[in-house]
Amino acid sequence: MKVLLDSHRCQGHARCAAFAPETFVFDDDGFSRVREGMEDVKPENQAGVRKACANCPELAISIVED
Amino acid sequence: MTSIKDIERTMDFHGEALDNIFETYRLMRENCPVGRSEKYGGFWFLSKSDDIFKVEQDAETYSVKPTMLVPPVADFPMIPIDTDLPELMDYRRILLPLFTPQALAKMEKPVRDISQDLARKFVESGSTDATAGFARALPTIFFSRLAGFPEKDWPKFDAWVDDILYERTVDPERARKAQDAVIAYFDDLIEKYRGRTIDEADTGTIMDFLLEARIKGEPLSRKELLSYCYLMFLGGLDTTAWAIRASLWHLAQDLDAQRKLRENPELIPMAAEEFLRTLSPVQAMGRTCKKDTVIRGQEIKAGDRVVLLFGAGNRDPEIYDEPEKIKIDREDNRHLAFGAGHHRCLGSNLGRRELVIGLEEFLKVVPEFTLGDPSEKWYGVGRLTLNFKS
Repeated sequence: MKVLLDSHRCQGHARCAAFAPETFVFDDDGFSRVREGMEDVKPENQAGVRKACANCPELAISIVED
Repeated sequence: MTSIKDIERTMDFHGEALDNIFETYRLMRENCPVGRSEKYGGFWFLSKSDDIFKVEQDAETYSVKPTMLVPPVADFPMIPIDTDLPELMDYRRILLPLFTPQALAKMEKPVRDISQDLARKFVESGSTDATAGFARALPTIFFSRLAGFPEKDWPKFDAWVDDILYERTVDPERARKAQDAVIAYFDDLIEKYRGRTIDEADTGTIMDFLLEARIKGEPLSRKELLSYCYLMFLGGLDTTAWAIRASLWHLAQDLDAQRKLRENPELIPMAAEEFLRTLSPVQAMGRTCKKDTVIRGQEIKAGDRVVLLFGAGNRDPEIYDEPEKIKIDREDNRHLAFGAGHHRCLGSNLGRRELVIGLEEFLKVVPEFTLGDPSEKWYGVGRLTLNFKS
């Protein structure tokens, strides 16, 4: 499973931080991106990443299943 | 009997219109998802989540000018919410760093300390009004400190907020006077900051950020500063108080939920999202159409006002199972309480944390409560009377 974040859509709601803090990281203005090396989502982080995707108000997160 | 057409024509989202607003929203979603109200000079309104979301993402077609608020709460454009791209981002960037997850982590402890202290005092005092004792007090103390509004001035704030936000549809003259008083207050406060004649002047407050800000090398003008201060004042105090009060209002009637959250406080963040979805402090915001367009088959002309009914979209059955039900364990909860797109509520991360931490501490300290006065409404920042088992 891969996770992608569309930085043009992200507006800094930070919902992804609530569900998958290990996967997402924030810049100094609060915009999110996928942490380096975390694009391939490990099994133990998948549930959190799915929740982050479902709860993102901007539909900025997408998941590509293997 | 009132017809659907009459409900559409008189659609409003202030004052008593909020009494039965969720039923009104349902009728509008089902019968006229793009409706036309004659209130406030006339406006289109959208009640479907997808339509609202699309408009929020479409800065090409929609402007926030002259103001996002329907009816207006100021006779000047408020910064940043009443500005369009690209100026909008210049203004937002000034304060964005204050509300990042990293910045919020540092606020956890002070918010928790204040919440705990207020909850204890609320119990000790034997008071029954959870609005004055807690819901309004928390943002007044925390946000005012963050903003750099001196403590001696706090007692004036509630009446100004009430007059500007809640009296404007009842007594516009009173709202106008309060607006002038708030502007005069900030005019004076800016002077004190500039002269460094108050203690709050060098502590990294919102006031400091605004005074230090440069856009393309230039500081904000006096007009810009006053406008930004005014918006921070309204946005930072009222909305959070409403969110906390409405959550407690619900929990006072849903004892199963109240007990569950006491036993499993780790569920509070999820419950808070559900309260934000269903009882949101910002029920609607406006846009102005910049060019002729069509929404769901309805022609909208350039210059027409379009109101986004977030409260209606947040109960859209196309998006949520059992949308009218407040389920504290709702897992997938993508809602529009803070808006979406480039106008996303600047303080949403802080508002959320104040709500979550406030509820955590309140439930930790205050014993089981029920609604003391069933005539008190779900909305606003008026009294919330709680009953305790004696």
